[in-house]
Amino acid sequence: MLYDILLKIEYDYPDTAEAGRHMVRIMPADLPGEQRAIAATMTVTPKPQEWIDRVDFFGNRFSELLFDQPHDVVSFEAKARVERVAPGSRFDMSPPLAGLAQEIEAYRGVDAWSPHHFTGASTLVPIDGGTTDYASAHVRDGASTMEIVSAINLAINRDMTFDPEATTVDTPMLEAFQRRHGVCQDFSHIMIACLRGIGIPAGYVSGYLRTIPPPGRPRLEGADAMHAWVRAWCGGEMGWVEFDPTNATMAGEDHVVIARARDYFDIAPVKGVMRSAGAHTSTQSVDVVPVG
Amino acid sequence: MNMQGEPLPDSPTGRLLSGYSRLDDVPDELIGADGRIRPVWHDLIQAIAAMSEEELSARMARGDQYLRDAGVFYRHYGPQDTTERDWPLSHMPLLIDETEWNVIADGLVQRADLLERIIADLYGPNSLVADGHLPAPLIANNREWLRPLVGVTPRSGHFLHFLAFDLGRGPDGNWWVLGDRTQAPSGAGFALENRIATSRIFSDTYGRSNVERLAGFFRDFRDRLLALRENEEGRVGILTPGPLNDTYFEHAYIARYLGFMLLEGEDLTVRNGRLMVRTIDGLSPVSVLWRRLDSAWADPLELNDNSRLGTPGMVGAVRNGSVTMINALGSGVLETRAFLAFVPRICEAMTGESLKIPNIATWWCGQPREREHVKANAQKMTIGDAFATRLPFDLDDISVVGGTVGEHRNAVDNWIDTSAAHLVGQEVVTLSTAPAFVDGALAPRPMSLRVFLARTADGWRVMPGGFARIGRSGDTPELAMQRGGSVADVWVVRKSAVDRETTLAPSAAPFVRNQPGVLPSRAADNLYWLGRYVERAETMIRLTRAYHLRLAETAWPDTPLLSDLANYLKLLGIEPEDAIPEGISAAIASASASAGHVRDRFSLDGWLALSDIEKTIRNMARTATPGDDMARAMGVLLRKLSGFSGLVHENMYRFNGWRFLSIGRSLERAIAITYVLARFADPDAPEGALDLAVEVGDSAMSHRRRYAVATNRETVIDLLALDPLNPRSVVHQFDKLQEHFGFLPGAERHRPTTELQRAMLKTHAALSVHTAGSLDTAALLNLGAEIGQLSEEIRKAYFR
Repeated sequence: MLYDILLKIEYDYPDTAEAGRHMVRIMPADLPGEQRAIAATMTVTPKPQEWIDRVDFFGNRFSELLFDQPHDVVSFEAKARVERVAPGSRFDMSPPLAGLAQEIEAYRGVDAWSPHHFTGASTLVPIDGGTTDYASAHVRDGASTMEIVSAINLAINRDMTFDPEATTVDTPMLEAFQRRHGVCQDFSHIMIACLRGIGIPAGYVSGYLRTIPPPGRPRLEGADAMHAWVRAWCGGEMGWVEFDPTNATMAGEDHVVIARARDYFDIAPVKGVMRSAGAHTSTQSVDVVPVG
Repeated sequence: MNMQGEPLPDSPTGRLLSGYSRLDDVPDELIGADGRIRPVWHDLIQAIAAMSEEELSARMARGDQYLRDAGVFYRHYGPQDTTERDWPLSHMPLLIDETEWNVIADGLVQRADLLERIIADLYGPNSLVADGHLPAPLIANNREWLRPLVGVTPRSGHFLHFLAFDLGRGPDGNWWVLGDRTQAPSGAGFALENRIATSRIFSDTYGRSNVERLAGFFRDFRDRLLALRENEEGRVGILTPGPLNDTYFEHAYIARYLGFMLLEGEDLTVRNGRLMVRTIDGLSPVSVLWRRLDSAWADPLELNDNSRLGTPGMVGAVRNGSVTMINALGSGVLETRAFLAFVPRICEAMTGESLKIPNIATWWCGQPREREHVKANAQKMTIGDAFATRLPFDLDDISVVGGTVGEHRNAVDNWIDTSAAHLVGQEVVTLSTAPAFVDGALAPRPMSLRVFLARTADGWRVMPGGFARIGRSGDTPELAMQRGGSVADVWVVRKSAVDRETTLAPSAAPFVRNQPGVLPSRAADNLYWLGRYVERAETMIRLTRAYHLRLAETAWPDTPLLSDLANYLKLLGIEPEDAIPEGISAAIASASASAGHVRDRFSLDGWLALSDIEKTIRNMARTATPGDDMARAMGVLLRKLSGFSGLVHENMYRFNGWRFLSIGRSLERAIAITYVLARFADPDAPEGALDLAVEVGDSAMSHRRRYAVATNRETVIDLLALDPLNPRSVVHQFDKLQEHFGFLPGAERHRPTTELQRAMLKTHAALSVHTAGSLDTAALLNLGAEIGQLSEEIRKAYFR
């Protein structure tokens, strides 16, 4: 499937910001075999004094930008044409949990996608008795890792209410879990905590979601902003598999990947410090339109 | 058990040690296994034995006095607050002979080389994990393993440059490594101060013993840091978390001693991949940074985004190879407690040798066999956080000490099973004892040694001596300073005379600065505000004194002049009736806070004078009563303040820093006098107001000598505003400001005048054309506002 993507993010500073250095991750990734960025440009206003394109530990591309003149507004615009390959249906070859634990232990490596990075607490995802107990309730005896992940994906979607008013980007995962309300970021963090709690390595994916559904299918939640979903390691044989708990589905042709890491903290769209006294406000708009 | 052997019970030595008893099964540094004094101690013990009690306590007092005068302190974190504490010197040094020291040094150099190889692997190929020598979870779940630094090779070719190791002597008499300090080890500067203090206490023995000197170690390391710069233009800085850090004193001390800039994160910025310091003359490159800040805090952009102590982009500058970090960012990973379980085998695998000095036995519970071993032997172990970076006896919340397991056996087993990967068991530490003075007599106390290593052009160099921690009681957990332990100097005693080449007296002057100084903007900012706050306090004190002098002379506090003055004081935040008004103590506290940020640039005597003023204020606040008593109290404060100013002006080298301090004073004084005149030289001011203005302007005597008449508006305005020869006048402040600005960057070049210069010229010129008659109240108020504006122009020109 071919998409045209347009994203605009704007930050307004009530008190002029004097200077700032940012890391920006908003461009669709180039993922051989999964996704191809055909034409992609990022426009930044005002013009930054420095612009360095880099790759992070997990292999995600991002831009480091420096603004050293005072400014009131910063805006980022991403424009891209992306080809997303439909993942073929996959035969479940994942081991049960005990087998998975052995595979993890046998994995001697700390390369970017080593499961070891994704087993413990990360910056925004603590390992908590509450989420672990919740997840354990969905572990059926003898179930494969894939089956367990699917069950938890559905359970979270069923038990949580999608509610953009309930949380902000700064709401802790556990608070959203207790209130059973939140947006894709909360759904994803909760699912990651659940999976890690029962020994399944899990990571976070940020990306875009097709805005208008194909005829006859419902519009997906989270399509009017940047989206997030989850990837789980289902053993050496199957590797990483992606699920979207916000929409109770596997991630597929409708999901365009920006970056993948342990949680939102690692790959927030815009990170950085402004030397400014006051708070800021931000606005975001997204369009993901199928082409042809 | 009493001392065995017979060191002449009737001799002075025998009497000195009569109460000193070696503990069972614990080696003692002073008394050998044979019950005799170890030879290395003979001279010192004999010298002490020959001293009378009075002499000994006078000598100790001399050492303490030195530390107080030198302003040595550490910050103590209490449950509610933090306070500065006197440095807890254990007056008795620890003596170690050459042979034994060589063993320690040799073993630690081996360990330092090994750690360098380990960290190069952890941030490089990770073959230790691939080959099964280190479990992957200990890396992947490690907060100190910083992913943004993976794959980054240090510009200098080395990750580690300055290390410390904590050692203890085990029951068998051999040394053990208790912990590796690789992040940003502290204590080397304190070791220098310990040495100076201790060598004053035992000056004669120190002078004739062959004690290794410390200065050469620092000189070599300083030379190394300078050599690590990419060129002459780059600078060396010391990065501190700031005055609230427990070892800030040491950061300032080392910076002063080595002649390097002391920097905080906000002093620095990154431009085009280079680390730069913001100075009053723009950005200037920094190419070597000795950080005393934990890695994660160094860069809020790529590391801990909560950090207010770091510099956004710092990691980028490191990645770009434009700055050498001492030690590399991410080196704290080597402090991970669980690593101690693997280092011995890694040593064998990487070097083919075993460790020359073993480390404390450690078992990581993430491995099944080790977990069972810890459970079975929990009684004899400390069980705690596998990822902790603290020392084994420095207990944290989740540690369980063996022996307390007892009936909680099942709970402990359970805990170990559920958190296995996060726990390590370590052999309970027993330490040797060393002599310490307790109530005037020597008593054995547990001891651990901190040894420093620096990488020089010729490889690792071990600081010969320096730093031992002494426990307060018999138990080892009391060792940490925060828990009331003390610190002793360590003397490494050679058999033959020590190398004269390196025997610089420890009190030798700081090393020669061989880089022209640059003044970081933040330091300039703080010096400027120090000047302003001190002057502000002085004005408040003069006004308050004037109030209480008049109050003492009249029965009615509501005379027009008194109530007018009271209202004016209230405008300044002063309740005149308060014993030591809040406004005054706040101004002094602000001055101290500013001074606290520039302790490396600020004379020690000045600092002590300021602390003394704070203390005086606190005492006075308890006792002072309105009227005469308060007037006298204010007089005392004024004298102390002028003592401070005298120290600063007599002793401070005329660096640019001094100019900012002076600019602050002059500007504040100009503002104060202008507003005092606007209020009390106003034609409608109450009777006596003119005399009050002259008094507050400290110009009563000048007025009598210059004008043969009583005060009138013209004479007062003339003297306090327009007379360039009166050091209190407004115009005099402008002359001074112009002079200072003339020496600052930006003035020497023939380039278009800056905003600041334009504003200065305008205000100065306007003032010059005034006469005593034309400078009326409206003109004064206008002038005051314009001078206030200058402060903003100064900020824009120099402090950004």
